[in-house]
Amino acid sequence: MRPDGLAALPKQALETAVSARSPLTPDLPRQAALARFLKRGFPSTRAEDWKYTDLSAAIDVTRDWLAAGAVSGIPDSLADDAAALTGNIDASWVVVGNGQIVGDLPAESGKDGIVVERLSRAAVEPSIEQPLADLNAALLTDGLHVRVPKGARPSRPLGILYLDQTDEDPLVSLQRAVIDVEAGAQIAVIEYHASKGRGGHYSNTQVELSVGDGGSIDYVRLQNRDRAHSQTQRLGVTLARDSAFRHFALDLGGALTRNDLTIDIAGPGAEARFDGLYIAGDGQHIDNHTRVDHRVGPARSAQEYRGILRGQCRAVWNGKAIVHEGADGTDAVQGNHNLLLSEGAEIDAKPELEIYADDVKCAHGTTVGQLDESALFYLRSRGIGPSDAQRILTHAFAASIVRELPIGRLSDAVNTLIDRRLGDSLAMESA
Amino acid sequence: MSTEPENIESLVNQRYKHGFITDIETDALPPGLDEDVVRAISARKNEPDWMLEWRLRAYRQWLAMREPEWAHVHYPPIDYQEISYFAAPKSDADRPKSLDEVDPKLLETYDKLGIPLHERARLAGVAVDAVFDSVSVTTTFKDKLSEAGVIFCSFSEAVENHPELVEKYLGSVVPQRDNFFAALNSAVFSDGSFVYVPKGVRCPMELSTYFRINAANTGQFERTLIVADEGSYVSYLEGCTAPMRDENQLHAAVVELVALKDAEIKYSTVQNWYPGDENGKGGIYNFVTKRGDCRGANSKISWTQVETGSAITWKYPSCILRGDNSTGEFYSVAVANNFQQADTGTKMIHIGRNTSSTIVSKGISAGKAQNAYRGLVKVMPQAHDARNYTQCDSLLIGKECGAHTFPYMEIKNPGAHVEHEATTSKISANQLFYCRQRGISEEDAVNMIVNGFCKEVFNELPMEFAVEAQALLNVSLEGAVG
Repeated sequence: MRPDGLAALPKQALETAVSARSPLTPDLPRQAALARFLKRGFPSTRAEDWKYTDLSAAIDVTRDWLAAGAVSGIPDSLADDAAALTGNIDASWVVVGNGQIVGDLPAESGKDGIVVERLSRAAVEPSIEQPLADLNAALLTDGLHVRVPKGARPSRPLGILYLDQTDEDPLVSLQRAVIDVEAGAQIAVIEYHASKGRGGHYSNTQVELSVGDGGSIDYVRLQNRDRAHSQTQRLGVTLARDSAFRHFALDLGGALTRNDLTIDIAGPGAEARFDGLYIAGDGQHIDNHTRVDHRVGPARSAQEYRGILRGQCRAVWNGKAIVHEGADGTDAVQGNHNLLLSEGAEIDAKPELEIYADDVKCAHGTTVGQLDESALFYLRSRGIGPSDAQRILTHAFAASIVRELPIGRLSDAVNTLIDRRLGDSLAMESA
Repeated sequence: MSTEPENIESLVNQRYKHGFITDIETDALPPGLDEDVVRAISARKNEPDWMLEWRLRAYRQWLAMREPEWAHVHYPPIDYQEISYFAAPKSDADRPKSLDEVDPKLLETYDKLGIPLHERARLAGVAVDAVFDSVSVTTTFKDKLSEAGVIFCSFSEAVENHPELVEKYLGSVVPQRDNFFAALNSAVFSDGSFVYVPKGVRCPMELSTYFRINAANTGQFERTLIVADEGSYVSYLEGCTAPMRDENQLHAAVVELVALKDAEIKYSTVQNWYPGDENGKGGIYNFVTKRGDCRGANSKISWTQVETGSAITWKYPSCILRGDNSTGEFYSVAVANNFQQADTGTKMIHIGRNTSSTIVSKGISAGKAQNAYRGLVKVMPQAHDARNYTQCDSLLIGKECGAHTFPYMEIKNPGAHVEHEATTSKISANQLFYCRQRGISEEDAVNMIVNGFCKEVFNELPMEFAVEAQALLNVSLEGAVG
């Protein structure tokens, strides 16, 4: 374990790489972000929020990538792969390959009432200040700005595919999106992460989402990276009066995955529902951190994450709900349920509540266990083989949360991904 | 280790001459802490060399440690050089001569708590010779215990009389460098209690009433060590429902429990140190390290605590479930009113096979208090078939208080069943209305509801104590409603 990620990075290479980047918006303060990052470095496991997640793998790739000149070309095959991944999901797709926007932006013409621009042409200033966000801001090539104008209700979801490919060389992809859903607007967004290739890879994604009064967003994040690659992703959400945020996160791939979801409830009547499913196998580490700040009431937040762990793997779930002073009428629920299916699997769960108001209803429940033996016996007694019985029950465990998927038309694609992943994991078991 | 047996004997005799309350007017050390202070404390207690060495090792480790900052509590920095590490208790001359001289407010509280008359004088710090018959009571208990072979004495006496036991077990559960406050305690601990229950013995009485009379001045750095040998049982009660006043602001105690094969230790605490006034002035900082080691198979350690006092409570009674089939329990009621801050909970470390643990925590916040539950359930890879159930509920009374939960679960064995539930709520207007409608005053109604909320924990307390604890809760919440 390396306590300080900064010492491991060649400072000069980092500075050179940042200076070589073209300016984005006049406002994006690359140098300030670099200065902050150089002060703090990568988060270390000494920080409470990173206690269970060691970023060494990402740090190593970043160092090698900087040493190799910090270049990220786009392989020719990427467009075909992107088409294969998105082909059966009906949405307007934007493809970001190796951290760069590939092809035309579908909505630049104003199609479906939404505006998608390059961040370099938009007049927005990314605001998150976190070591990983700073690294992202310092080295970002370009990002996306999505605006859903007041009252707009596009019929198709907007899909953003983050696809990374590296055949041999180390690669770091920096991705950023700023999404503004204006008052009364409604949209569905799919954020899809995939990667392939034998090179070391680290992807760093920062998404800022704000939902205006009465606006609503259904947001699904799918992550199916190569199981040798690493990702850190942050989705920061601000919710105004009577707005709604429905979220589902699926993590299947990646060697090291860390997702931060932070939700700021800034207007009364807001509602946040966020669920997730993670399936971890040999060599995987999947960490989901969620934090919801109830600044005003009444408002509701509810989350349920489920995990299936088999093989030498580790999953982390940390859910935090903070009810600030005066946020009366808050209703916050957290749930986290895990299936530990083999030796060597580890789950670290931490449901936290910090409550500074008294007219609240808050609860959390966490369980760690195995498949129900009597249910297994029931299936066996009806002539179903042990591995089938296990598969059926594991599927059922996953299905009860997938059912909550906010974008209905995605359910086939999501179920296919899950089936394939669970199939792999069971095959591994019997092998 | 080199202490001669004769030497020990002479020391024993020397101390017994003075009984339990030693006149240590001259023992007060000036504020400050260095190796000389540690040596001075050890010398004054006539400790053998190994004990001094042990203290010094702790002190040197403490120097390199930093005060923990992770707890959900805030207080001005403590200047450890400002504290006197061997303060003499009040001499008899300074004490009130009789109950008539005691603050009537304090007496009123005793009345509400239903404290027996003959204990009140002692609790209020009335000079020893004025206390009714306490010595004979003490002696009766002592006889009964020694008949059973149970060793129960002050820590200093144990160092003198049973050095082999102390040396074997001291620091074996809470090592010197376990944490900042434990290291400090290890270096300068003043005194405390030692219990050894021999093989197969069921301790004939709750070690409670005895202690209550014995421990008027426990000192600010208390050290307790309880060893239950194979197949034995002991129930130990620490503290007292009566408000405890103390001039020492910083308290850093260490409690170590060792349960060998088939042994059971039940440790109950009622903590009611001075919490400070309504404006948050004063009050005790209570930084305590309590840990039990279920070292043998089928052993059991059960912690029950009712925490109502102290300005700041930092305390996590824990169980290391090392023996196969061992059991750990933690039942807690923590009340924080006015400006009190509590960060308390437990750790259950599952190591052996078939281990199980239960955690029931009830936190009550009122006034401007902050009350946090912090707990860890850890199941090691070799801990097959571990079982944990955790329930942790918070009750909020008032708009300005806070209730927090920070539970950690680290599960590394696929055979583990771990369940955690937590809720936070306030006393509902409906509940109150229902009671009021039936002629119950608002204060009584709140007390009734709060007592109901805590019932599961009170059930775990020895009976007479449970009654006192309920009364204590009512007193602690006075002024929180209405």
